[in-house]
Amino acid sequence: MTAYLLHLAVLSGIFIILAISLNLIIGYAGQVSLGHAAFFGIGGYTSALVSLHFGFPFSLAALSALVVTGGCGLALGLPTLRLKEDYLAIVTLGFGVIVDLIFLNLEITGGPDGLVNISPPRILGVTFRPRGLYIVLVALVVLMILALTYSLVRSYHGRALRAIRDHETTAQVMGINTPAYKIMIFTLAAAMAGLAGSLYAHYITFINPESFGLHTSILLLAMVVLGGMGSIAGSIVGAVILTVLPEMLRQFKDYQDLLYGGLLVGLLILRPQGLMGRGKLSLKFIMRKE
Amino acid sequence: MFFQQLLNGLTTGAAYALIALGYTMIYGILGLINFAQGEIYMAGAFVAVLLLATGQVNFFVAFGLGMGAAAVVGVVLERVAFRPLRGSHPLVPLISAIGASIFLQSLALLLFGPNDRPFPIQFDFTTITVAGLPLSTLQGAILAAALGFMLLLVVFVRYTRYGKAIVACALDRDTARLMGINVDRMVALTFFIGSALSGAAGIMMAIYYNATYPRMGLLPGLKAFSAAILGGVGNIPGAILGGLLLGVAESLGAAYLSSGFKDATAFAILILVLLIRPQGILRGRGD
Repeated sequence: MTAYLLHLAVLSGIFIILAISLNLIIGYAGQVSLGHAAFFGIGGYTSALVSLHFGFPFSLAALSALVVTGGCGLALGLPTLRLKEDYLAIVTLGFGVIVDLIFLNLEITGGPDGLVNISPPRILGVTFRPRGLYIVLVALVVLMILALTYSLVRSYHGRALRAIRDHETTAQVMGINTPAYKIMIFTLAAAMAGLAGSLYAHYITFINPESFGLHTSILLLAMVVLGGMGSIAGSIVGAVILTVLPEMLRQFKDYQDLLYGGLLVGLLILRPQGLMGRGKLSLKFIMRKE
Repeated sequence: MFFQQLLNGLTTGAAYALIALGYTMIYGILGLINFAQGEIYMAGAFVAVLLLATGQVNFFVAFGLGMGAAAVVGVVLERVAFRPLRGSHPLVPLISAIGASIFLQSLALLLFGPNDRPFPIQFDFTTITVAGLPLSTLQGAILAAALGFMLLLVVFVRYTRYGKAIVACALDRDTARLMGINVDRMVALTFFIGSALSGAAGIMMAIYYNATYPRMGLLPGLKAFSAAILGGVGNIPGAILGGLLLGVAESLGAAYLSSGFKDATAFAILILVLLIRPQGILRGRGD
């Protein structure tokens, strides 16, 4: 039982990182990424591949995941973030499909079987085994991410981002370089998702394309909208609820996607601020009238 | 070989073009990407297939009812998932559309199961030779029907009262309202027509691939959106051109480059278009 609770806690931690990173894109840059699971996957595969083939220790593998996914985010953001928000949604969705195809078709990624025997992390002589200390490692990373995100959103840069989200033209008039900011936050969010992928790969120790498809991207979106767009605390709540709830409702597995879809539409109409969106970071402007 | 691939590409391209018309018209009037367009395509195919499977209706009635059902799904979707959110941040209807798309897809999965359904009736299509080149009558029929629908749409938009009212709403919704046009009704009409065309595309592809399944709309929906961008989003002839071009590019790419990445062609083209010419081939209102 304890092992099962620990397992849920680790998964929740990983999804908290993913939800926060997606929320930075949605709630702060005012964009939608529908391929966020692809960054999660690229991070996982990169980390697994460098540790399997080059024997990289976990810290270096995680760093590689961070750099590679950040690079992918930058490459994807550069052509699209100068345009309207719809384009990023479609391009990231297409990106997700392409990445999924790459995982499935390449030999080095192991095709549909994926990669196995990924070693658990070993840092300073301590091995973080899946059923043991792993939760400590995840908790540390989550705390780091939280500290980084809070200091970012409360800084000058965070205010600039919110200004862009609320009214892009006004933000430009105030001298904010809007495309640069959007690209910066998108790259950062991609890198964070990559880190989560690395944590996931070394925790589960085997990965296949199934974990990183469109289904996961939609799940992440549902977490962010449920918790409240633009609310970091909300992302934590949303991630925990949608990680734990499906586990408790295993017998209704077939209805999961129906629930996520209905949840997205219903919440936006009835409670667009999400569960936690009332606070200081609420996205009340998102519902402003024309 | 080349001619055959070209023809295959034009056939799937015709379906992309029909879906792209729905995207482009809805984008033109509301500035909204209806992510659920692919699910409307799927709904049309399912209704037609289920009706035909009963053995009680003839093909043309089933085709018409399938289109009608797709149109109704589109109109209901607009009423439930988009109209209450009109006027909010553009992000909000976008996410709502994604939610609606997932909802419809998983609903279809629950109702119809995950397996492919073959098309219930058989047609005896053959291959004839036209000017020394082989032509499958199935492809010929699909192309002819698709072009017929496109022509009807263009005539409707250019020359009828309601068509002109839709264009007026797309140009300037507030001014259109001042001229006495019922904007809400025109938006509903746009959804009706766009969805009916997607439904028609769904039925044609259900015949062409002989398979109907809940996720059949996902990739065609995405590709048709790329086609709409390629042609210039908001531009009706652009959507037709973009759809046909995309179908041909995909088919030739699969034949001469790599078939494993066939589905990636559309997105590679999309990203290239966004980099080089975001307004599309024929200037749209996209940027």
